[in-house]
Amino acid sequence: MKVVTGVVGNDIHVVANRLIDLSLRARGFEVFNLGVNTYLEEFFDAAVETGAEVLLISSLNGEAEGWGREVKALKAKYKHLDNLIMMIGGNLVVGSGNAEDIVPRYKNYGFDLVCHQVDLNTGLDTLEAFIQERNKQ
Amino acid sequence: MSLENKLLIDVGSTYFKISTETSIEQHFRDFNKDILDDLMHHCAETIGKYDKQNVHICSSANGGLNTLIIGITNSYSLKYATNIAFNSGINIIDTILYQDIEDYSVPSELVDVVIIVGGIDSCAGIFNDSLYSYLAKLDYSNIVFVGSSQDAPMIEQNIENVDILPNIIDNKLHIVEESLKEYLTNLYQQDIEGKEDIKSLYAITDNQIYPTPYIVNSALPLIDARYSIVNPFILLDIGGATTDIHYSKDLVEENIVTENEYDRLVFKKLGVYKSKQSLIFAAKNNEFVYELLMHLKVTENIFNEQGAKATKILMQLAIFLVLCKLSHYRKAYVNLKFQTINSFVLTGGITKVLSTEEIEDIVAFFYKKILTSEHRPKVVLDANYDIWTLGVKGDESCL
Repeated sequence: MKVVTGVVGNDIHVVANRLIDLSLRARGFEVFNLGVNTYLEEFFDAAVETGAEVLLISSLNGEAEGWGREVKALKAKYKHLDNLIMMIGGNLVVGSGNAEDIVPRYKNYGFDLVCHQVDLNTGLDTLEAFIQERNKQ
Repeated sequence: MSLENKLLIDVGSTYFKISTETSIEQHFRDFNKDILDDLMHHCAETIGKYDKQNVHICSSANGGLNTLIIGITNSYSLKYATNIAFNSGINIIDTILYQDIEDYSVPSELVDVVIIVGGIDSCAGIFNDSLYSYLAKLDYSNIVFVGSSQDAPMIEQNIENVDILPNIIDNKLHIVEESLKEYLTNLYQQDIEGKEDIKSLYAITDNQIYPTPYIVNSALPLIDARYSIVNPFILLDIGGATTDIHYSKDLVEENIVTENEYDRLVFKKLGVYKSKQSLIFAAKNNEFVYELLMHLKVTENIFNEQGAKATKILMQLAIFLVLCKLSHYRKAYVNLKFQTINSFVLTGGITKVLSTEEIEDIVAFFYKKILTSEHRPKVVLDANYDIWTLGVKGDESCL
């Protein structure tokens, strides 16, 4: 399964990005890593060019909050991305915050899976479980 | 490579320039005359002194290839194909985002080359009947497919006379330039040779006539040998019909990996003669232009005036608008890292009209107003068309 991943906005957390890349590959995903400092439009465009089924955005410095608000409107401009699994993980707010507040907010932004301050393996387990569930339907 | 006993001629959309080993002269073109007649009218004596094998001509006149690119995303397929086309010397490019192809009107004029691109090689089934229906209504001379190799057989089956080339997007989403670049450069070359006006120039030369942007691009690695330029630099060629920007790859924030050290971008509607009206239109839509006009101590009435002063102001505006288009103020095809530019090199007709100080003034205004920066790159004027002659020298195959 193809996954497009990268760090959104003006965020240079390259180590986390590399770990996500390696972990996804270890689980058998075909990874298209756009690296750090990636704009939202590039994520969606990469999904179109690669035919990816999953978009996994990471963020560590709180930039996701600003970019997240744009997701729904931008994705709506694409005519063939309705089935794209949208996942976001990392530290999703500036400063501290509760997952109980943050997860629904990001789901409202258009993400299927939201992992705020969840460790990487748990996050990817969640992704695999989601994919399995979807495949059953 | 020695230029001794060589005559170099550049035919532009507005001026032509001729260079001997001792002098350079330029003449405004008379559009009622054939290029050769016009050239001979002004320079018959000079041209007559040279054997045909010692006359070398480049041309950017009469447009160039009219190109339509159909791609599936702005960030990859359309961007990569546009980048390759610009670097192959092509000036006129329109793009279609494939998912919305049914919303685009079909150009009424003949398109010289259509480029279809999209998807990495492991992707299939990207294009369907909407592409073929659009193409059925379109009048074009050449068509090339540079998208997913899995889609190539289907494309070949459905589009007559399509040329299939390797995908320009690799499996890491990086650009692969060579094959499309070679294809377009060859077409551009054939186009120049085929234009009746240009064809007639073979009466005075035995050598291949080259596209001018190709020659300028060849000069870039040699520029710092001629001028005291501090890298990185950008080169602005502001002419009558278009404005060309050549820039070092280090200045681009987005990481398009290419073989070349320099990249080229063309603004087809920014020129001070043939494209004057569209330049004025662009100026009126820029909120800083009125402040700039005030800074230059003129009013917008200057747009309705003719003459030397109006031309000078238009050229100053052209510089400002081009810089705006390349900055974050206007998110365009590329955004340059202006804070790291050390030199601005200007060539083309602009060097005959503006002084170094006048250009420095505009550059300073741009840095202050748009970038709120005190950075001041060095301005270098190529007033004697040295870059053009350097390009001919630099590309040994031209001589």
